Amino acid sequence: MHINYVNTIKKNSLGITGILLLFFMSLLAFIAPVLAQYSPVEPSTQTLAFPSASHWLGTNDIGQDIFSRLIYGARTSLLIAAGAGSLTAFIGAFLGISAALAGGICEKIIMRAADILLIIPNMVVIILVAAYLRPGIAALILVIAVFGWQGNARVIRSQALSLKERAHVAAAKAFGAGNLYILFKHIIPDLFPLITTSFIYHARRAVFMEAGLAFLGISDPAVISWGTMLNRALDFSYLNNWYWLIPPGAALSITIVSFTFLGYALEETIDLRLGDKNA
Amino acid sequence: MLEIKDFNFSYSNSPVLRGINLNLKKSEILALTGESGAGKTTLALAIMGLLSGQASGSIIYEGRNLLALPQTELWNYRWNKISMVFQDLEGALNPVLTVGKQVMEPMLEHRLLSIEKAKEKTKKLFKYVGLPEGFCSAYPHNLSGGEKQRVLIAMALSNDPEILIFDEPTSAVDAITRLEIIKIIKKASQNKAILLITHDLTTAYQLADRAAVMYAGRIMELGTGKEIFKEPKHPYTRGLLRSYPTLSTTKDLQGIPGKQEIIERGCPFQNRCTQKIADCGKKTPRLKQFGGRQIACLRGGIVSLLEGENIFKKFGETTALKGVDISLAEGETLALVGESGSGKTTLAKCIMGLEKPDGGKIIFQGKETKERNKELYKDLQLVFQNPRECISHRLNVLETVMEPLNIQRIGTFNERKENAKKALKNVELSASDQFLGMYAHHLSGGEIQRIAIARALVLNPRVLIADEPTSSLDASIQAKIVKLLLKLQEEKGLAMIFITHDIALARKISDRIVVLLGGEKVEEGPTGEIFAKPRHPYTRDLLKTAPNFSPETAYLKPPKNRPEGACVYASRCAEAGEICIIKRPAIFKVGMQKVRCHLYSRNEKEVLHAVNTNRNHTVSL
Repeated sequence: MHINYVNTIKKNSLGITGILLLFFMSLLAFIAPVLAQYSPVEPSTQTLAFPSASHWLGTNDIGQDIFSRLIYGARTSLLIAAGAGSLTAFIGAFLGISAALAGGICEKIIMRAADILLIIPNMVVIILVAAYLRPGIAALILVIAVFGWQGNARVIRSQALSLKERAHVAAAKAFGAGNLYILFKHIIPDLFPLITTSFIYHARRAVFMEAGLAFLGISDPAVISWGTMLNRALDFSYLNNWYWLIPPGAALSITIVSFTFLGYALEETIDLRLGDKNA
Repeated sequence: MLEIKDFNFSYSNSPVLRGINLNLKKSEILALTGESGAGKTTLALAIMGLLSGQASGSIIYEGRNLLALPQTELWNYRWNKISMVFQDLEGALNPVLTVGKQVMEPMLEHRLLSIEKAKEKTKKLFKYVGLPEGFCSAYPHNLSGGEKQRVLIAMALSNDPEILIFDEPTSAVDAITRLEIIKIIKKASQNKAILLITHDLTTAYQLADRAAVMYAGRIMELGTGKEIFKEPKHPYTRGLLRSYPTLSTTKDLQGIPGKQEIIERGCPFQNRCTQKIADCGKKTPRLKQFGGRQIACLRGGIVSLLEGENIFKKFGETTALKGVDISLAEGETLALVGESGSGKTTLAKCIMGLEKPDGGKIIFQGKETKERNKELYKDLQLVFQNPRECISHRLNVLETVMEPLNIQRIGTFNERKENAKKALKNVELSASDQFLGMYAHHLSGGEIQRIAIARALVLNPRVLIADEPTSSLDASIQAKIVKLLLKLQEEKGLAMIFITHDIALARKISDRIVVLLGGEKVEEGPTGEIFAKPRHPYTRDLLKTAPNFSPETAYLKPPKNRPEGACVYASRCAEAGEICIIKRPAIFKVGMQKVRCHLYSRNEKEVLHAVNTNRNHTVSL
């Protein structure tokens, strides 16, 4: 069945909400330099200030403006979401499709690797690796992707295997189409919704993962992150500093919720009943 | 008896006959057929020495070249040794003389007999040709066409010639008279050499010992009469046969494209031939021996496009194809019939290379298809059984029909679009922008089926394998599509393997039928023969179940398991004997068919065994 994805998502209220929230967060991140009156990293003498006209969300223990850190933190989160999401989706799709089309020993190696990654609790592995490497943004994206593609690859492979046997692929072969034509004109376009869903899923997971690692204090301390903010805020929770604690938590929730809504909407649209639940 | 060597003839420098080599033998009928204008009558008149024009070569009779003889010498031969029954009944008879006198005239003219004896002989001749004696005194206008024809035959026989030429003896008479005349010619042929000129192919078939097919002043095919009309090997002969309605062929009439033109260089038939190659425009083919007959064709007659030898295919435990042979000639339709599960689609997929056969060879256009490249698929196309699935949901009508052209990289975008539109119009679909933008789920089953057909035809393939292409269409559209396919076959020589379970449809469109059952070819033969004389019990049962307006309904037993080493139809066959469950039958040639059934075994014991067992006895397996 031919689906016009844009039109269908437009009619889906969850999808619309997700898109609006994500757009809002992206806008904040994008215009952060304009919005922020203070540098997000420069400490000041005004420490632990209560929200006021000059510091909308107050300041932290070393006098950094919380609002500035919040919107710059959005940059980090979204960058990692986009980077890790697309990298994971790409690796998963690439390995899944390769396994399905190449078959043989290649398929065996890829799928056994996926199985191994599936049985290892990858959160633990990522924490260990991150604790050891103290990764910056790029390295973090890589780590999340390298330990996150397996479920995705399995789903894509199974779908590609069934697509490969479809009559319209056989028809293209009967017109003399080579493997590359079939891959780019039939298999990848048909897998595209699946790849998009996996992108959204992994983007959400990356946001969560980055914040979690930062919260645990095992990421690069130079990176402005909501997780780090939460961690620091909790250290001072005896001061009743809700203005410090709530904004990063809320921002994190909004971002994750926006991805979740978008993911739900996409799944409803595609209805492949193939939600990537096992990563 | 009479030998024509390298005979050329032209009227005022326009050649009419070119390079004719023929010989007539005693007690033999040689039929000369071909479209009008082929030069048949000219050849006859040349033998009679009745032509004035430029002739070269020789016509040798009794050791003398008739062409070199002066008219006075020819006079001795004409009517005494060589006589002719003319085509034009009215023109050949003098309206002011009685027919008796006209029959007597040659005898008296050559002073062979006295008047009395001549009268006596005339009466005998009238009796010989089946006319009452009293007709001797009738005038030509008193006689009907058939009677005039008989008078002319009597006249030709009057001096008891050795060579007798009949020019269209049956074209002006009704079917009953035709048979009478055929009988007379046959009787006369016992001690004479007969040259029978006719465009009536059935007369030629019934009478001719040998037959020559002429086209544009040349002989295209020469062979024994029985073979030439049953299995034509020259594209022109096949074209002639296809345009000729008979009760023994069932396929719809097809003509020969184009018209006869004077061609200076190369094969005279090149402008109408569907299997022409570059050489055909350069070299003139001469009659050459090809498998028991002479054919004037640079390609050796109708070429074989596709051959499958001993194709095996297994799916796990089940054997889908048990060594099937298949062949397809240029411009031919082969119907593959049989119930579902008989291996029809698997065979098609094996030929297309979509399934890899486990054994056997597939030869396409003379080359074994081990490695399949893109080029191959320009000429070999398949219409899939389930059109809705074979069209991607992401492609609209235009993209779908253009896809083969995109894959083969033929033409620019606009050319591709034009080709796609043309293909759509050919299958009676709209080519409007609105329709081109529709998607498969917007369309009806019939429309999708036609898009699938258009898509397969957009590459102009030489061979089209169509898997149930019309089964989802209503009858009126089916008729249109089938006519389109036959038209393409007529014009471009499209060869088709038509897979269908609709045997009534197969009857109308196919030249040959292959009946498949349980992965085996159980019967193969010309469509007309299969319908007239189905040999395999399964074919007979299948014919009973074919759609018709008869009040009786036939039922077939449902298929049961088929053990190895037995006949595939043994469990359901009403005629099965013990041998049928013990031994897999070999292929036997019966008439024009090949049948895999013990009933036709040359081994007497096996036949008896199969036939003698109780017919109602059901074989339990």
